[in-house]
Amino acid sequence: MSGGIIAAVVAVVLVVRLWSRRRRATTGRAPTDRRLSPFTSDVALVAEREMRERFRGRIFRVGTLLVLAVVAAAIVIPTLDKGKPHPQRVGLVGSLSAPWRDAVVSSAKSVGTTVHFVSVHDKDAAYADLRSGQIDLAIVKGHDLVVNKPIGATDTSTTAQFVLVLSKNLGVIEAFEAAHLTAAQVSELAGASALAVRSVQPGPVKGAAQATSLIGIILIFLMLTQYNTWILIGVMEEKSSRVIEVLLATVRPIQLLTGKVLGIGLVALIQASTIVVFALLLAKSVGSDLLHGTAPAVLVSTLVWLVLGYAFYCWVYAAAGSLAERQDQVQSLAFPLSVPIIFGYVMALTAASSASPSSFFKVLAYLPPTAPFAMPVLVSLRAATWWEFVVSVLISIVCTIGVARLATGIYRRAILRTGGRVKLRQMLTRAA
Amino acid sequence: MVSTLLELEGLTRRYGSLKALDGLSFSVPAGHVVGFLGPNGAGKTTTMRAIFGLTDLDAGTVRWNGIPVGQDQRRRFGYMPEERGLYRAMLVGEQLEYLGRLHGMSATQARAAATTWMERLGVAERAGGKVDALSHGNQQRVQLAAALLHGPEVLILDEPLAGLDPTGIDAIAAVLGEQARSGCCVLFSSHQLDQVEDLCESVTIIDHGRLVVTGTVDDLARSGPRRLVVRVEGDRDASWARDIAGVTISEVDGGAARLVLESSVDSDPVLRAAMAAGRVTEFTFERRRLSEVFREAVG
Repeated sequence: MSGGIIAAVVAVVLVVRLWSRRRRATTGRAPTDRRLSPFTSDVALVAEREMRERFRGRIFRVGTLLVLAVVAAAIVIPTLDKGKPHPQRVGLVGSLSAPWRDAVVSSAKSVGTTVHFVSVHDKDAAYADLRSGQIDLAIVKGHDLVVNKPIGATDTSTTAQFVLVLSKNLGVIEAFEAAHLTAAQVSELAGASALAVRSVQPGPVKGAAQATSLIGIILIFLMLTQYNTWILIGVMEEKSSRVIEVLLATVRPIQLLTGKVLGIGLVALIQASTIVVFALLLAKSVGSDLLHGTAPAVLVSTLVWLVLGYAFYCWVYAAAGSLAERQDQVQSLAFPLSVPIIFGYVMALTAASSASPSSFFKVLAYLPPTAPFAMPVLVSLRAATWWEFVVSVLISIVCTIGVARLATGIYRRAILRTGGRVKLRQMLTRAA
Repeated sequence: MVSTLLELEGLTRRYGSLKALDGLSFSVPAGHVVGFLGPNGAGKTTTMRAIFGLTDLDAGTVRWNGIPVGQDQRRRFGYMPEERGLYRAMLVGEQLEYLGRLHGMSATQARAAATTWMERLGVAERAGGKVDALSHGNQQRVQLAAALLHGPEVLILDEPLAGLDPTGIDAIAAVLGEQARSGCCVLFSSHQLDQVEDLCESVTIIDHGRLVVTGTVDDLARSGPRRLVVRVEGDRDASWARDIAGVTISEVDGGAARLVLESSVDSDPVLRAAMAAGRVTEFTFERRRLSEVFREAVG
């Protein structure tokens, strides 16, 4: 899959370059002899400028490195933790019977840890080792359990869980011994496995798919926020610097706008693909379980919805940018636009860790403003069939076309109007 | 005979109750530098924006060689807007190359043309810097280079001389003259009438969105009542001219009396009256200044 993503990115870059070269070849004569360029030629030229300027910007380079560092940490740290389990150090003062020793080992195992026995000379030495943290638990004369600090009911540390389970198990063993069972019987009873409990509802999704889903949601949120803000500010700056007059004296508004959203969108796709490929390669090399289960499907879904989410929002932000002429106007426009993004993001984060999504959340997966967050979560929870996924994609595409037409009309009318923020209502009336 | 290239016919643009353009018609011939004059708010910028489709017209057409102007034609035009427009954070050289390519040049052509014009306008050493770092004058030169580098056949410049020092004005004036001589039709607006008079073959003056005067500078200077400057030794107030019928004293400046003669007045009686008042040291017919034409047209 990573090879496919790389191939797609390379193909997109090659197409843009070929466009430019073909254009140069067909227009490589005196300007006065120039024929009308195809629509796409000017769009490609505008997109190429956007890509070059964005790639060159410090925000892009530093931002990409930061995200890669965070992704690397998220992948590598769990594997480090998994590869080096921290054993519980148990200090023994005196000897420990075989059933008790077995109970200590099995109790540790039941809470996901191991045990390292340490022989301690006497009680005072054991207390000193507890205070200094050299041991986690002392068993004095085969009977007394001693820890450094009292264990509270809300203490969820591994040592606390281990000690609580162990104290219960040892109490049972002591009861068995008091009942004069043989050592073999005691060992057999102590090692009895619990009965399995089944549930009617499926349990919460854990592991790879959930982790991938969460990473995907965060990635979509960060990238939609960043790249749409770029469009908003980019359009506003072209208007405020008046370079828009020079540009529109040569190209049509639709060409300029399409080139801009395409160029910035390609930068976003390349950045996202770089992050995904990096994550996959790193996950494979360190033995992370990021690729197991439904995680690959979630990953593909994330990329699909990143593209669809960008395609939907980029037109809205571009139209908003054309209404503004100053930075403070941009900020007042950006907030209401970010509300559906933040809403979808928060809802998706909540749903991703639940056992099953609510009906309301399922509805959000079909609404274009929130679908980029909701649908990948449904995929990770296995709560969406392939045709539901396709229906949501189609709804998003149809709505995006409608939004693009409306936004282009607003942009065309507002971009050349200077002297203060343009009223949206007036533009909507004219654009309709 | 000069063929007409750019024709504006019946341009009308309303902003609510305000008529920015009111059936404006005029033409710009090839090979001429035409000064586009008018008081503030007369509609000059709206007209120039209309040529590039930046203003939606309520009525009227702009034609180039008889063809209504569209995107294809506009690629051959050069435009310098009133409020200068450049990407502030983009490198100067790259920006010019980009704008040249938008006009249909290849990357190689655009790069070469950008280098040529930056050298010509004295900003070559700034090619690797950002526009933001340039002085006002240098930004103006870069903006002019952006309008010129694709070899336009029509050059529309809105206040190209504003804010420039004399050296900058001379540089731009030289370029405009050169463009016109190479066959380009040049239309530029300015409030600096002395420069316009020196630079232009003809002028078009508009007011309230309507054409009020158009013609060559020579014709306009020769039109209207004659101006006579007479200097009489020892004379301070030109009182000798007060009683001559058909003669009005326009001003007396440092002993030189500027007189306006009606068409029926012969200059001989004026000369005799002056000689009777003292020794005449100057007796010169003066062309009508463009500033006078302008004030009479829009006053």
